[in-house]
Amino acid sequence: MRTKLAVVLATAGLLLAAVPVLAHHAFAAEFDASKPVKLRGTVTRVEWINPHTWIHINVKNPDGTVTEWMLEGGTPNTLLRRGINKNSLPAGTEILVEGYQAKAGGPRANGRDLTFPDGRKLFMGSSGTGAPQDGRDPSDR
Amino acid sequence: MNHRFLGSISALAVAIAAVWLMSAAVAAQAPSPGKQTPGAKKWTPPRTPDGQPDLQGVWDFRTVTPMERPADLAGKEVFSDEEAAEFERRTNELQNRDRRDGAGSEEIGPDGRSDLARAYNDFWWDRGTSVIATKRTSLIVEPSDGKIPGLTPEGQARDTERVERRAFPAVGPEDRSVGERCLLGFNAGPPMVPSAYNNNVQIVQNRDYVVLLNEMVHDARIVPLDGRPHVASNIRQWKGDSRGRWEGDTLVVDTRNYLGETSFRSSGPNLHLVERFTRVAPDILLYRATLDDPATWARRWTFEVPMTRNTEPLYEYACHEGNYGMTGILEGARAVEKAAEDAARKQKSEN
Repeated sequence: MRTKLAVVLATAGLLLAAVPVLAHHAFAAEFDASKPVKLRGTVTRVEWINPHTWIHINVKNPDGTVTEWMLEGGTPNTLLRRGINKNSLPAGTEILVEGYQAKAGGPRANGRDLTFPDGRKLFMGSSGTGAPQDGRDPSDR
Repeated sequence: MNHRFLGSISALAVAIAAVWLMSAAVAAQAPSPGKQTPGAKKWTPPRTPDGQPDLQGVWDFRTVTPMERPADLAGKEVFSDEEAAEFERRTNELQNRDRRDGAGSEEIGPDGRSDLARAYNDFWWDRGTSVIATKRTSLIVEPSDGKIPGLTPEGQARDTERVERRAFPAVGPEDRSVGERCLLGFNAGPPMVPSAYNNNVQIVQNRDYVVLLNEMVHDARIVPLDGRPHVASNIRQWKGDSRGRWEGDTLVVDTRNYLGETSFRSSGPNLHLVERFTRVAPDILLYRATLDDPATWARRWTFEVPMTRNTEPLYEYACHEGNYGMTGILEGARAVEKAAEDAARKQKSEN
């Protein structure tokens, strides 16, 4: 039985290589893997739309100017099914973003990793286990 | 709806599926791991006011079971309970989009993806966390090796041509996929296939039509049941042309006349798709799709997904209006071209 389990474990990697990567939206065509960005900013507005949510944040530049960036997320439908809605990320909330800048340049990137300054993932609670209302995250509703 | 509720709905669906597995009627379709109860009464669905089997509702086709059987599971058609649980655990860990492994952004991680290709956090995804209730190791049930049959030379040529075309900077939206263009959903087909998220379809029936409303991209396939023939062969439609009929308690939907713009796993315009919908338990709709395209595959093949009832509604997937992504792709293509031109000009002036 242990051998069988080991086989199952080993194949999971092969499994994923065998499944064609979903190409509904080739991120490599829109964003530049050679232009990673790390941003800290405050939310100005959230476009709670399909095919992708866009989160707009004001980022203070080193020279004191402010740039509004827009960050691409996923479909809001998934979050609605977890009890999250467009009011769950109010304007003024400070967030950290890691992503890749648009190929065309400019203040646009994919929101590869969205967190609060204390490291908690957005929309997920402190453990990131998919329990937005487990009580551990005071910002959950 | 919070996650715990969704969890308990899945648990309920699995329990109902276990009862279904014991039904002798199912044994013919899916190999049962010795759980049959001889003489178990086959469940029959209630009827609509028109006397048809009632398939209505919102159906959820999420699963982590792959379309094709992984190479190392060759010959193994069904998981044991323990193996299924371990497969789920391992798959969910590997597919978690919060993985950041790979030192560079283009490096491919153990999940087969680069950091950029993982796109965004795991909380945006909704691919499912469970294997299908039958615990088969692939969605494909025919051929018995659980693999898509080999491509014909024509199928291979079509595949190669599309890959090559996609490698060039897009001149216009027509160079991108129908999903990126917000024309059709990437999981709606037809046939419907479990994928990244919004794996939901709503079925509505009346006496003369069945409507298959896919969440992606808020698209309604209206299937007549009156036995009228398909449209003429020179008339081609983006989702093909569907005709429905009842065979006992199974809705059979026959689709032909695809346009060349759409392709499912390299299929061509002459794909002949037969879908079968059978409600085998109160909250399980067995979806079976057979693809026949001699121009593309050496033989026909069939896959099966037990869909589970979703007690929540579809959410509108208005797509085109919010499609900043297409603008970004085309702007990106122009930027790539300009950079190449600038580099060429610089090269020329230095020579």
